Amino acid sequence: MVPALVLVVMFVGYPFASIVYHAFTRWDGIAPAQWVGFHNFEVLWHDPLFRRSLRNNAIFALSVPIQVVLPLLVAYVIHRRVPGWRFFRSTIFLPAVYATVVIGIITATVLQLNGPLNQALGSVGLGWLKHEWLGSASTSLPVILVVLVWTNFGYNVLLYLAGMSAIDPTLEEAARIDGASWLRILFSVITPNLRRVLEIVLVVNTITAFAFMFAYIYTITNGGPGTDTYVSEFYIYQQAFTNQNMGYAAAIGVTLVLIVLVIGIFQIRILTRERE
Amino acid sequence: MTTVETVTPVPQRRRRLRMRHPWPFVGGLALLCIAGVLPLLFMAATAFRTQADWDESRIGLPTTFSFAAFARAWNDANIGTYFRNSAIVTSSTVALTVVCATLAGYGFSKLRWRLRGATYLFVLAWIAIPPLLLMVPIYVEMVQLGLLDTYGAVIFLYTALNLPFNVYLMTAFFRSVPDELIESARVDGAGIHRIFFRILVPLSKPALATLVIFNILWAWNEFLFALLMLQSDSVKTLTVGVLQLQGRFTTDYPALMAGLLITSLPVIVAYLVFQRHLVRGIVAGAVK
Repeated sequence: MVPALVLVVMFVGYPFASIVYHAFTRWDGIAPAQWVGFHNFEVLWHDPLFRRSLRNNAIFALSVPIQVVLPLLVAYVIHRRVPGWRFFRSTIFLPAVYATVVIGIITATVLQLNGPLNQALGSVGLGWLKHEWLGSASTSLPVILVVLVWTNFGYNVLLYLAGMSAIDPTLEEAARIDGASWLRILFSVITPNLRRVLEIVLVVNTITAFAFMFAYIYTITNGGPGTDTYVSEFYIYQQAFTNQNMGYAAAIGVTLVLIVLVIGIFQIRILTRERE
Repeated sequence: MTTVETVTPVPQRRRRLRMRHPWPFVGGLALLCIAGVLPLLFMAATAFRTQADWDESRIGLPTTFSFAAFARAWNDANIGTYFRNSAIVTSSTVALTVVCATLAGYGFSKLRWRLRGATYLFVLAWIAIPPLLLMVPIYVEMVQLGLLDTYGAVIFLYTALNLPFNVYLMTAFFRSVPDELIESARVDGAGIHRIFFRILVPLSKPALATLVIFNILWAWNEFLFALLMLQSDSVKTLTVGVLQLQGRFTTDYPALMAGLLITSLPVIVAYLVFQRHLVRGIVAGAVK
């Protein structure tokens, strides 16, 4: 009891209080912080780099609708016990087992100008498709989006599977006897009973797109070219540890926590209302 | 005789509904799974190449087969040290988490005390806060505590950041243990410690396995805080250490991939061993 509380207060609760306080200060992390009121947030409001970072986060949030729909289909196919379902169930999660850093470095390696992907394209006669994939945001952002979807796909499948296994199988059988197709069963019988899991899938994937992108960006593009692929966390990291603007970085952190919470609450509200 | 047989309830295994034409779906699933195994194949195909072979061709099977890249990574690029550091950090995190989360789960489920509900909510609330956003104050706090650049920094941090979820799992598990069991032990004169160690801990092996696999994956693969906290080579973990293979040997891709393979294999093995429990943990988080 006590050790858990001490650890949580020391390394989660206290930093949280500290970040909220320091968001209103000018601070380099060493000298005492100076109270500046809402100054940081005013600067942030007009900061083009913060806007670009947020816009990139929003682009990665396009993964959310994909992650809501596709893993649902895949989970249902596994749920219906197609041949080899056990094997598929355990292999589908594999991408989430690799460290994000490993995935990032492999992606960056494969997509180099003279890397394996371009070489493979050349050798099958698709040389005209060769591209400097990470050379501009117009290709690197979609690439990172694909990697993001691929990594978390299996986790969402397992979440859906967990939800499906809790649904009374007689419901499915009844629908089947009435002559419903598998798609019909999935959307009319299964999905309405998955509200809690849908909530989790929505919220978890949104939080990922806004607050767990650092390792991908750091290893795949390092924010580049220029600042084109910055995301908010990467920007916090830059401001805090390259520019020593700890106060400003804290303000970005607080803003991001608020954004994530608001989106999360909003999504849950919508789902709750649809039900009624 | 015959009537008795018809009355005896036949233990019926409920058969799940099956697809009428499963093979197109199996094909699709197989493609997804190939995509999941591809990075592993690429790492292996590249790590067993020689540098000359890589310069020649970057795709397909290696035409040469050598362990030299592993030796370069392990010895020259310090991967051996990083591996040891990752093992120390991960095992300590798992041990500390198991101790803290089971004790707290016991306190929140089976003991009665004032403010229990409020304290439980206080601990759970942090699940909603993405820890990466707290990097600034956590870094400063570690400097002040003198923990920067030590194993302690990441061990305490990893444990604390994941405790809200782990405490939730253990509390949910202990709550499913019937109170009568504890009541009868108390009548027999067992104290709260005896009840905890003699009854609850032995019962909670499956829940503990879930905790262990979750925390192995989390601590072994964590990157941002390791990057911030661990600065000298003697304490760096693999996720941070492998990056140096990228910088220092600009073109030694076989060694880089050998390093990544060494980073990945332990967690893949852990996943294969514990996957049943991981799924159970996800079920507990999603359904309850």
